[in-house]
Amino acid sequence: MEKVKIIETRNLQKTYFSSEGLPTPALRDISITISKGEFVSIMGPSGSGKSTLLHILGLLDEPTKGDYFLDGKNIKDYDKEAIASLRNEKIGFIFQFFNLLARTSVFDNVILPLLYSKVPEKDWKHRALEAIEAVNLGHRKDYLPSQLSGGEKQRVAIARALVTDPSIIFADEPTGNLDSRNGHNILEILQNLNEKQGRTIILITHESHAAAHAQRKIILKDGLVEIDEKILNQLRPTDVIIK
Amino acid sequence: MKWKHYLKTAAGGLLVHKSRSVLTILGIVIGIAAIIMISSLGEGANQLILREIQAMGSRTLVVTPGKEPRGPSNINSLFLDALKERELKALQDQSKVPSVVDATPMIIVPGSVSYGGETYDPTTMGSSENFAELMDVYPNPGRFFNAEEVRQNESVAIIGSEVKNKLFGPSEGLGAKIKIRGRYFRVIGIFPQTGSSIFFNMDDLIVIPYTTGQRYLLGTDHFFEIIVRAQSEALVPRAVAEIEATLRETQGITDPEKDYFHIHTQIDLADRVGLVGTILTLLLSSIAAISLLVGGIGIMNIMLVSVTERTREIGLRKAIGATEKNIMTQFVLEAILLTGLGGIIGTTLGITASFIIGQLIRRFGGLEWVFSIPIASALVGITLSCLIGLIFGIFPARSAAKKNPIEALRYE
Ligand SMILES: Nc1ncnc2c1ncn2[C@@H]1O[C@H](COP(=O)(O)OP(=O)(O)O)[C@@H](O)[C@H]1O
Ligand SMILES: [Mg+2]
Repeated sequence: MEKVKIIETRNLQKTYFSSEGLPTPALRDISITISKGEFVSIMGPSGSGKSTLLHILGLLDEPTKGDYFLDGKNIKDYDKEAIASLRNEKIGFIFQFFNLLARTSVFDNVILPLLYSKVPEKDWKHRALEAIEAVNLGHRKDYLPSQLSGGEKQRVAIARALVTDPSIIFADEPTGNLDSRNGHNILEILQNLNEKQGRTIILITHESHAAAHAQRKIILKDGLVEIDEKILNQLRPTDVIIK
Repeated sequence: MKWKHYLKTAAGGLLVHKSRSVLTILGIVIGIAAIIMISSLGEGANQLILREIQAMGSRTLVVTPGKEPRGPSNINSLFLDALKERELKALQDQSKVPSVVDATPMIIVPGSVSYGGETYDPTTMGSSENFAELMDVYPNPGRFFNAEEVRQNESVAIIGSEVKNKLFGPSEGLGAKIKIRGRYFRVIGIFPQTGSSIFFNMDDLIVIPYTTGQRYLLGTDHFFEIIVRAQSEALVPRAVAEIEATLRETQGITDPEKDYFHIHTQIDLADRVGLVGTILTLLLSSIAAISLLVGGIGIMNIMLVSVTERTREIGLRKAIGATEKNIMTQFVLEAILLTGLGGIIGTTLGITASFIIGQLIRRFGGLEWVFSIPIASALVGITLSCLIGLIFGIFPARSAAKKNPIEALRYE
């Protein structure tokens, strides 16, 4: 099977500077390649640069040095507006703290990315409902986030990430705030999105159990790639006995 | 992004903090209400004065004795007896004042009037047979006195409707003898009810021949004023010149600085009223300007607070594809909605207040006040308030748009 590169970084560096000018190197030298349709987990101790890498790959931040090619094109060649529409069209985010808009219904939260998209308005409702159904929340579409459980909130966030039909989904510790049952449910959804819909998934986690749902695991340490290997026994949803 | 969605998003943002939003726009509300009141009340006052001036006739001049009031000195009171029969005759002389149609003397007789057991305190004026035509009020029932009755110092009186009601109640009163300052006057006419005017209230008036008033009631020979009508409005300046020349000649004055009289034209009056109006307008305008400025700064402050509070929301919106322009527009629109709402409330409040004040002037001032809705100023006011939202909303909106999405998402 021929592999199409969707993400490629070359000697990526990111250094934060404190207000006194003190440098904190978060990423030292990252060169990785991720193919279309891959499910990659990124692990590593706290402070190793996982989130920083995800933010750069998700176009929320820019590297201090090095190059990042998304779909074969160098990000440096895009202006701010183009980056914003790439974020909207190609990328879906799932955060640890859900980041749903309070006092806004499930439906309106999910439809939000479409407001900034080129998708014609007549398709919005249908698309949002489809995304909500895909995470099995049809019966909760008019609920407010405050009326949902943590697992349900994270599923709303997944529906929101899916609504623009992105090719890559970035998830930063999506199960970090959930119990194991809900966490498992989220991982199952991610695996489905990868296998049934062919979406590229990049999952940050510090639980090796969660990481094992991916096909490949990258372990960062001090801003460098320590391990990058294929997962031989990818954990299947059916492998887990739900208590 | 479409306007519909911008509006929905912005309105949603405001509804989250309803009471704060309302408090924030107070300055705008007051400022705009002040603007609306300036124009509504100003327009009402203007119309009132214009109607008065038109009622008097724009070709009417009033000659008063004494110097033109200048400064605090009351030296003019020294010459209050400067207008007498001699001056009146001169002003009635067509060869001396060809631009003048007629000259009507006026005196004021202080004191009350009584009939049977009833006593009343009206305004009693003495004038000539010209009065009715000059003021455009004709007795009904009854008649005005004529020139012969003036010449003969007849004790006759025409009374206003209010005076009649107070003295005679429902009975007619015509032919009755009323007592003014100890002298009996026969009522020969009653003015129909006219409603009041700024200058004097016709309904509260008694008019007697000036000759009778001077001789029997006051014991003087001078006038309170002489009302002169020019041939036309255009001839007013010429009439003024003729009157000045004639009176100076009559009184033997060579130095205009020593005139013992003063001529008031309706134009003077309009100017003076206009000046008061201008001062009031300036005062209210500065109140409006200050509250709008303070209101604008308040809006900016609250928008900055709102932007900080909603850092996570902004970060999320950017993460899912909002551009800087999207965020900027959302927040500017929020500010405009806020101030626009203030403008609408202020306009409503201003119109309501103007209406109530107009009603009070009607009821307690007894004036024919016309309430007008200042549509133009309402539009200007609402536009202005939206503009304030735009101006003071740009800075907070820019700071929202410039937020780094990661910082924003990290923000707790
Ligand atoms: N905005 C920032 N300013 C300064 N230092 C930062 C910032 N974000 C992250 N860092 C630092 O960069 C390093 C990597 O952080 P991060 O990517 O969040 O790690 P991880 O997600 O693996 O825990 C840490 O040392 C962290 O303190
Ligand atoms: Mg992290």
